[in-house]
Amino acid sequence: MALFALFVSTAFAALMRDTPGDQVRFGARLFAAFMAAGIVLGWILYPFPL
Amino acid sequence: MRATTADRAATAPNTYLICVAAWLVPGAGHLWLGRKQKGLTFLVTLTAMFVFGIWIEGRLFPFQFSEPLVALSAFADIGLGLPYFLAKAMSAGAGRVVAITYEYGNAFIIVAGLLNMLVVFDAFDVAQGRK
Repeated sequence: MALFALFVSTAFAALMRDTPGDQVRFGARLFAAFMAAGIVLGWILYPFPL
Repeated sequence: MRATTADRAATAPNTYLICVAAWLVPGAGHLWLGRKQKGLTFLVTLTAMFVFGIWIEGRLFPFQFSEPLVALSAFADIGLGLPYFLAKAMSAGAGRVVAITYEYGNAFIIVAGLLNMLVVFDAFDVAQGRK
């Protein structure tokens, strides 16, 4: 999940921002959001059986 | 002197040729248009995603229209262009359904293809002078 989030946030940052500084900031925020969403959704889905 | 957006649009050899290059090789459209940093980022990131997906036993789906979801996955896979055809030629991407990483591999391959489609649209916008 972390590797997937890293790849996707890198690609999106390069797509949506033009300067390297903006890309790094946007990419870092996106990566953090992906990780946080993954962990939160994991906990929410924890009680449900497969 | 740095070229303006209008200059770049005017001197772009052929917008559609750039889009075809961008589809075939991830990032090639941006490299062609002089956006080296973005082009290299797309080339490395999307190719790595695709290779990693194949490595963890993801599948390159066939165009099987009797199974709409399989056909849609195939459409997404082919979005990566040349790496897709190279992998097919090398008989890679057969996928192993019982592998624990199978679905993760599919996600990497499919998303790499879809992201490359977005990159092609971005290259088109740049070539048209909109960005």
